[in-house]
Amino acid sequence: MRAGRPRLGAITLIYAREMRDQLRDRRTLFTIAVLPMLLYPLVGMLLLQIAQFTRQHTISVCVIGVEHVTEDAQVPGADGLVSPLLVVTDEEDPDLDGSRVHPLGVSETTPYRFPETLWDSESTIDVFAYRASELARSGDLAERAQQWVRDQVFDCVVCVNQPLGVNAGDLSVEELEAQAASVGVYYNVASDQSMVAKDRTVSILNRWRGTWVRSRLADAGVELSVLDPFKIEDCDIAPERTREAAFWSKLLPFIMLVWAMTGAFYPAIDLVAGEKERGTLETLLCSPALREEIVWGKLGAVMTFSMMTAILNAASMLVTSSFVFNQIGVGPGGTSMGAPPLIPMLWLLVALVPLSALFSALALAVAAMARSSKEGQYYLMPLMMVTLPLVLLPMLPGTTLNLGTSLIPVTGMFLLVRSLVEGQHFEAIAFLPMVAVVTSICLYMATRWAKRQFESESVLFGDGDQWELGAWMRHLWRDRQRAATPTIAFGCGAVILVALFFGKLAVTEMPDTFGGIAKLVFLPQFGLILAPTLLMATMMTTSLKTSLRLNAVNWRVWSLVCVLAFMLHPIYMQLAGFIGEMYPLSPQALEAMRPFGEHIASAPWLSVILLMAVVPAICEELAFRGFIFGGLVRNNSPVRAILVTAFMFGISHGVLQQSISATFMGVLLGWVALRTGSVLPGILIHFGNNALSVSLNRIADLKIPGLQNLITVDAVSQAPQYHPIWTGCALFVSVACLIALYRITADLDAMENNDVLADRLISDQPVRDPSLKQYAS
Amino acid sequence: MIQVQHLSKTYEDLRRGRFRAVDRVSFTVQPGEIFGLLGPNGAGKTTVLRILSTVLRPTSGIATIDGYDVAHEPAEVRRRIGFVSNNTAIYDRMTAWEMVEYFGRLHGMSKTILESRLEKLFEQLRMNEFRDVPGGKMSTGMRQKVSIARALVHDPPVLIFDEATLGLDVLVARNLLGVIRELREAGKCLIFSTHIMSEVERLCDRIAIMHQGRILDSGTLDELTQRHQETDFEELFFSLLSSHENAVQTTEDYALEMGVVQ
Repeated sequence: MRAGRPRLGAITLIYAREMRDQLRDRRTLFTIAVLPMLLYPLVGMLLLQIAQFTRQHTISVCVIGVEHVTEDAQVPGADGLVSPLLVVTDEEDPDLDGSRVHPLGVSETTPYRFPETLWDSESTIDVFAYRASELARSGDLAERAQQWVRDQVFDCVVCVNQPLGVNAGDLSVEELEAQAASVGVYYNVASDQSMVAKDRTVSILNRWRGTWVRSRLADAGVELSVLDPFKIEDCDIAPERTREAAFWSKLLPFIMLVWAMTGAFYPAIDLVAGEKERGTLETLLCSPALREEIVWGKLGAVMTFSMMTAILNAASMLVTSSFVFNQIGVGPGGTSMGAPPLIPMLWLLVALVPLSALFSALALAVAAMARSSKEGQYYLMPLMMVTLPLVLLPMLPGTTLNLGTSLIPVTGMFLLVRSLVEGQHFEAIAFLPMVAVVTSICLYMATRWAKRQFESESVLFGDGDQWELGAWMRHLWRDRQRAATPTIAFGCGAVILVALFFGKLAVTEMPDTFGGIAKLVFLPQFGLILAPTLLMATMMTTSLKTSLRLNAVNWRVWSLVCVLAFMLHPIYMQLAGFIGEMYPLSPQALEAMRPFGEHIASAPWLSVILLMAVVPAICEELAFRGFIFGGLVRNNSPVRAILVTAFMFGISHGVLQQSISATFMGVLLGWVALRTGSVLPGILIHFGNNALSVSLNRIADLKIPGLQNLITVDAVSQAPQYHPIWTGCALFVSVACLIALYRITADLDAMENNDVLADRLISDQPVRDPSLKQYAS
Repeated sequence: MIQVQHLSKTYEDLRRGRFRAVDRVSFTVQPGEIFGLLGPNGAGKTTVLRILSTVLRPTSGIATIDGYDVAHEPAEVRRRIGFVSNNTAIYDRMTAWEMVEYFGRLHGMSKTILESRLEKLFEQLRMNEFRDVPGGKMSTGMRQKVSIARALVHDPPVLIFDEATLGLDVLVARNLLGVIRELREAGKCLIFSTHIMSEVERLCDRIAIMHQGRILDSGTLDELTQRHQETDFEELFFSLLSSHENAVQTTEDYALEMGVVQ
């Protein structure tokens, strides 16, 4: 048996043990099985109770100025169509409680109510009525009304302090306008009860006003039909099944994903951090089980629990909600909701497998950082914060499956499932490859991270040293090294990104002069990117040259890099154009950027080059490919260093479309930085690329005969373009250059330039090859 | 059986900066021999044993077990060692029998062989009365027995005990030392770390005294007492430690005086 290959037998053995262990744990069983089965019915019951409560609860409305709105005030001769706002209840009416105690003990004792025609609901409203004239004697009416609402004597107060036009049937139009009668409705937006009362009162008033309008128009001899010339009829052509599917396809994946996340996390904490805490992990690690087998076994167990939690929760919620919705009649469009169609829901289960695998791997990797279960709990929140936006994004209205969204992890899968559930199979199949590739990449990265965590000594055996600011600062100063450590590099990246974020917030409007634009570029470049880098490089490392990777490279590298600086640009343009098609810029953003482009176009060429090419190339490269890359690459994982710096570099660009293309560019620049062991070639390539970007228009304007074929100006967008053949040539030449660079630097590794090698060896990694020991000391 | 040459392990540490937990340690252990690593807390004993049990990688130096390098062939090494650590780590929700069986199966033992091996072990260590008790309900003594059974289940030629008697009462500790002696009789190669001198005196064939990551001296008890002209082992231990500390102090002072920056 060869060592190093994971065996299926061992994985299933570990998996079986972890499953048994978790199933024996009462807490886990409770959260995963018992809680969902009890939670939803309980919540459902509560909802029913609340629904009944709101329906039955009596609201109290006070009407001030009762003399203006009751029958007594009715102007003789008014049409019978208009009923008064309030009617006096018959004493004999057994339905109404005539003996209600008046809260203030003043004025009227006659119980009033709204007439049936205005308010025919069976919900109860207690109406209290006062004559305005009586109350006015003891103070201002409005003040009194406000105070009553504030003190919650009444939920809502209607104040009518003058005779309304309703009753003044004989007044002319001019007189009515002059009078501008108003009805004050006092309510408290902070109180739900008051808001309900206000809504009901306003609808009663509206209806009352309606009847009045109708009667007046009838009086004037106008056909009542002019008020309602036509009716709008809703015709939803979606069959009921699809309607239900649309509702469930939004809600259910969300619920399932959130639970899949939660369900993955608790077992993950127990299986890694918990084992670390109890010391059993060490026992397991010195057993013949390989690290990989342990990871796979544990991952399987966590995944099982994640899926079980999601399925149980979804099922319990479905069963409960179909009962509750039927009871309280809530659902989309007021229809009652039944159970969702079952067959499409199976797609959800299929999608759940990779997603819960992803969450499980993430949870496992994160949980491995914790030293104890308690510490593990703290990591749940950050993980949730990172993944929740991906789950919430598809819930936004108008988010549909397209090329852009299908490339976003989790979101793409979510949208794919939704279109499957809604029966749009063709669309779903079209985007399946993208979603599958993105999900597989994420899955691979997450499992790889989890595996690395289990191979890292500092993660598994990190001592429980208390972190202290003072000790840490002293450590930073005392143990300064020639170049940044990975931690310092991460810190520098974080500082730059956060500073840029706040810097961007501080800019409220686009400047309208070239000077303003120059300031807008210079300040972030020098103040927020270069300054923190230089500061950290001088304070935290002993050598500026090493930490910023200002190493000389030989002429062969320089010549290749010169060609690359020139030839990479067409490819970059192609890429940017492609991204622009996939994630189109909004017209508003284009509009906002237009003056920027115009000023750049009209400014002197040399200053534009200085501003847009020289400064960013130097500042950004020194920060990202110099200091940060130099720190990260020492972690013995050049690939990660390249990816992380590229990602940071991308984010620093702010606009999504630019960020994506910058990230790709960052990967290439990172690779060049890795191979050449220096920041200088990156600066040249970056400069070349930016310089060509800002001067392509001018080159096209020169109308040099030969060049005209290479660079054309697009008729519609006025944007310069490279000829496709030239782009193809550039691709060919660039690839050739990169291969040549690879071969040249392969020699450099061994011969003259040991920088790349030395980078790796300074760090605290075991020396594997005895022949390399000379560099270590 | 166990060969350790110039083994070093350094850590990054906030307080102390780069910290050498183990500093050029060398020793060998033969089959049928108990080798004692004696030293105060923090001397680096656990780190050495963790490197031997392949859970930590050495920064430099070579350690082999039965000819296999711990850094390069960890799987082969793990097959040949049994590791009993100081914190009696067993699973709370597994019974004694399940726990030992689980590790036996991880070692790839077939069902029938494992069954008979388990019966024999449980008999030998007198564990039959709690074979179905879950780990969470066991006493410390029971847990330690399960740990030992777990380490012995695949009958490894090398056994590593890391402060195994820590926290055990006199009776259980005595029992454990008995088991270790029996294992020596069976020709196993044993390495045993402790900070309790009487255990070393009674048990170990050869002793290494560790302090601040270094082995100050090693040899049989007789060799050590002769070399240092000290019959009382405890006195010997302290004089070694203090002379080492003085030496370190002097070199540091010397370095400061000479203005050499470390």
